[in-house]
Amino acid sequence: MTSNKVAFVGAGATLLWVAIWAWLTREGGPVSELFFPSPGDVLDRLIMFWSRPYIGSTLMGHILSSLSIVLAGWVLGGIVGVPLGIAMAWWTRLKWIVFPIFQLIRPVPPLAWIPLTLLWIGIGDAARIFVVFIAALVPWVMNSMHAVYSVDKLLIDAGRTLGANDRKILTRIVIRSAIPTLLAGARIALGNAWTTLVAAELLAATAGLGYVALNASRMLDTDVLVVAMLLIGLLGVMLSALMGLAARMFAPWVKNDRNGG
Amino acid sequence: MQNQQSTPKLELRNITKWFGPKDTGVCAVDNCSLAVQKGEFICVVGPSGCGKSTLMTVGAGLEQPTEGEILVDGKPAGPPGPQRSVVFQKFALFPSETVAQNIKFGLQMCGVDAKEQERRLVEQLKIMKLEQFRDAYPSELSGGMQQRVAIARSLVMQPEILLMDEPFGALDAQTRTILQEEVQRLHREHHYTVLFITHSVEEAVYLGDRVIVMSRRPGRIKKEISLPRDVVWKRGDIEVAAEHPDFIAARREIWALVREEIIAQ
Repeated sequence: MTSNKVAFVGAGATLLWVAIWAWLTREGGPVSELFFPSPGDVLDRLIMFWSRPYIGSTLMGHILSSLSIVLAGWVLGGIVGVPLGIAMAWWTRLKWIVFPIFQLIRPVPPLAWIPLTLLWIGIGDAARIFVVFIAALVPWVMNSMHAVYSVDKLLIDAGRTLGANDRKILTRIVIRSAIPTLLAGARIALGNAWTTLVAAELLAATAGLGYVALNASRMLDTDVLVVAMLLIGLLGVMLSALMGLAARMFAPWVKNDRNGG
Repeated sequence: MQNQQSTPKLELRNITKWFGPKDTGVCAVDNCSLAVQKGEFICVVGPSGCGKSTLMTVGAGLEQPTEGEILVDGKPAGPPGPQRSVVFQKFALFPSETVAQNIKFGLQMCGVDAKEQERRLVEQLKIMKLEQFRDAYPSELSGGMQQRVAIARSLVMQPEILLMDEPFGALDAQTRTILQEEVQRLHREHHYTVLFITHSVEEAVYLGDRVIVMSRRPGRIKKEISLPRDVVWKRGDIEVAAEHPDFIAARREIWALVREEIIAQ
């Protein structure tokens, strides 16, 4: 299918789903508005929410609160995770020093860090940044490590015969060739960070989309609840798409890989 | 051995290579010696898995031999470097760099100044007929074009020795023929010293001044055959050359030797 066709089918399918939603939640329809709001109600609330604050902040305020914490945790995860992952792949000894702890941390869901975080830092922004950092760190490290492992050894041999020293081999061959995998890791890390943040906001927050959803649920305000969920989904899609764009920008050589040879 | 009076450009002396522990691992190469004189084109043929690629990897300095030594101009060769340039079967181009960046890579590693880099790049693009692909990424090129880039990347270093490890093994037959002729022409015009590994007897006869036949694993040197040098039929296309009686005789002789080894496996 061409990309135009895909876009057309996608738009059509979205409209169809909204139509089904509208039909199910119509006045006197099978789903009561207390249980799930109609698209019209959601849109009304979205517009209202845009200008009038809800629990302390406007919609933009909540979105920015969520996004800034996600970005902070994700960037910190990258700053620590990428060099660590690359170093672990490059110096096997370091890997065997760090790996045991890392393997132990890996299966612990990031949310399980919340109780400890509450004790350490309380429920402020720093606490959420820390939990998001943990969620992003694991994919950052793992993908950075595998990115280095997946670089063809032959390229290193080629570099050596062309006179590259170890430092040049690492910076110019290994890391550059690893960029596509690194970016894939960045995308996974961002996805993890986002879902973890929203969950963290359900548990301990004073602003953000997860906090909005939790409050709306307590108030039985399904309109706002659905608005919040919709935005969480849409922003997640947007972040992922942005990372796809970044991959095309920073690894332009990947695009034509399939018609090589 | 020929030309024993002059010091060979590249000499592999009593090379033995074990993978894994000696005696319990795999012996890939067993006590092989060969010498490449300056300006000579040596082809090594042998059945697959006979250790001919290992011989080249060791010759390039990418692997240490278990026993024996590598000499360049009679002195221990040391670590790999641009004086022994390698063209690999799988091209080994840097995927994140354009054709121009790939070709300039070695020059940059050796601290050649930017102006000179550009001059040598342009010259090499012209020689390998790559001018219009200057800014393409390897992934955008066909296999044949990628190997042209890899050859250019080696030649631009003005290597004293060119090591080629089945460079056309991954290419289709038509592209291979064109590149064989190209390499023949380059050697004739620039007198490169070449150690060329191949499993194709025809390729060896067409390109080589001498052909070294290796035995099955563990690889030993079975026989060395000198071919007529700088004869007219080698200057032409490979299909024309392949009809010359000398070519046919050499091919027959070498193929019989290789065949023995394959059958005995």
